[in-house]
Amino acid sequence: MKKTITVKITKGFKIEKHMPLLFILPCVIILLSVSVFPFIYSLLLSFNSWEMGSGLPRRFVAFANYGRLFTDLRFWNSMLNMGKVLLFGVSSQFLIGFTLAMLLNRAFKARNLITTFFLLPLMIAPVVVGCNWKMIYHYSYGPLNYILRVLRLSEGVNWLGSMKVAMPAIIISDIWEWTPFMMIVLLAGLQTISVELYDAARVDGASRWQVFWYITLPVLKPIIIIVLLIRGMDVFKLFDIVVLLTQGGPAGASETVSYFNYLTGFKYFNMGYAAAIAYIQLIVIIIVANIFLRFLQERKPEYER
Amino acid sequence: MSDKEVTRIRRKWQGLSNDYAVILIFIAIGLLLMLSFLPMLWMFMTGFKNKGEYFTYPPIFIPRNPDLSHFIRGLEIGGRKGIIDSFIVAACSTLVSLAVGSIAAYSIARFKIGGKHLAFWILSIRMMPPIASVLPLFLFYRFLRILDTYGALIMTNTIFNIPYAVWMLKGFFEELSGELEEAAMVDGCGRFGAFYRIALPLVAPGLVATALFCFMFSWNEFLFALILTRARVTPVTVVITGMIGGHEILWAEISAVASMASIPVIVLSIFLQRYLVRGLTLGAVKG
Repeated sequence: MKKTITVKITKGFKIEKHMPLLFILPCVIILLSVSVFPFIYSLLLSFNSWEMGSGLPRRFVAFANYGRLFTDLRFWNSMLNMGKVLLFGVSSQFLIGFTLAMLLNRAFKARNLITTFFLLPLMIAPVVVGCNWKMIYHYSYGPLNYILRVLRLSEGVNWLGSMKVAMPAIIISDIWEWTPFMMIVLLAGLQTISVELYDAARVDGASRWQVFWYITLPVLKPIIIIVLLIRGMDVFKLFDIVVLLTQGGPAGASETVSYFNYLTGFKYFNMGYAAAIAYIQLIVIIIVANIFLRFLQERKPEYER
Repeated sequence: MSDKEVTRIRRKWQGLSNDYAVILIFIAIGLLLMLSFLPMLWMFMTGFKNKGEYFTYPPIFIPRNPDLSHFIRGLEIGGRKGIIDSFIVAACSTLVSLAVGSIAAYSIARFKIGGKHLAFWILSIRMMPPIASVLPLFLFYRFLRILDTYGALIMTNTIFNIPYAVWMLKGFFEELSGELEEAAMVDGCGRFGAFYRIALPLVAPGLVATALFCFMFSWNEFLFALILTRARVTPVTVVITGMIGGHEILWAEISAVASMASIPVIVLSIFLQRYLVRGLTLGAVKG
């Protein structure tokens, strides 16, 4: 009788000791089984040629998929489009978002209400954003072309159907969707800067420009880097509004990497090749994510520096 | 320096020293607000328009005979099932993510288990491009014959929500001092008791915020839903896309369904405003 009690106690004690491990176990098991295993599987897949639709068996082709990728103009075109989104889209979001944050960084009535209104594009589903802009860009009945015609700026732009403007059209809706993100995060950053700091600078005779350049920007620098990295990673995930607006067309003019990957895998059923594209995409993201994570690790709150 | 002088300097810095600057600033805010809000308003309005009204030139902004018929019709042609399915998937995924994520986050925050590497490994899964992970998962589910089921879609959403929940909740747990939990353990609560009875209620606001974010991500999610479902499970994002791909585009019905799909997340965003910055930057910026 006595013995069983001791056993129970020691057993209980052991469980208690390993509790932290038990706590984390479900999370690690789920993530390992449903993320790491598939990733290894798709790495192996990327060394195979497997055209699911053709009925041909899988065969090992070593690095042929990767080799093909590097000479695939369609892939490079989609990478180029990503570059355009990064260069024009993300930078516009940043500039407009920053301006808006500076404008809203003052006390006035209804500021919270106005901020909420600004945030709406960010909250609604990207699919809804796409659906929304599809109507706005409509050649004959869309309000955007109507405004252009009334202002006599143009006879109507074929927003989604022409090689030249399809990608800019996607970038515009991306800017519309993501500017609020830049705005709200930068606004939060601006609000951590104490008024005393500005007061001191003003008393010392600093001009507005100097205050912005020597106080606002340096304090915001970590936040600016964070938002740019987050958006930089998001660019590679750009998919939803492309499906809704142009489906990559016309003639691949607005194809993003994610969309190209989707077509290869789920329209042409070229699984091995799709896995190779996914892996290249993964490597790029891992590089950006690593910079982001390193940054996160080293970062101290702004006011402590 | 007198208080009056400080006020004067502040006002001058804020550009409130003359009335013209204030007016200019508000005009700028107003213009940007219009650019931001009008496209959405257009969609809400289109939901009330009759067929002749959304396909006319010049376009009509305000519908002449607004009624709810397109909303009802939109629900009938797939909207209702879409919204219900989205809700099932988002709610289940949120619950699982929170249950698994909260204990894991607690373990990482309190006991530093796995050090920084484990925490960052978990976060890195969140950052994977969804298209890269969906291909192996598609083949995996196909092998298991569970494509086009709630389970498969919930599971996939959960993979992305768990790392998010862990990372967010880790931040909230780290803000607790831990003294109360120690006291509870001295009083005979086990570690799990200390977590469940003491720590969890203390981070309740963070828990709610994390849950709402997970719900929102899954509700708005499209890529997984498109690839992993066919006819049995149809989340609302897939329903909307399907309607646009149709032979005749029923803009009023589409807008009505899209508006209805947006209402829950718009309501959520109002509740979430306090945690929005933190939630959108994975805790990197604490607003």
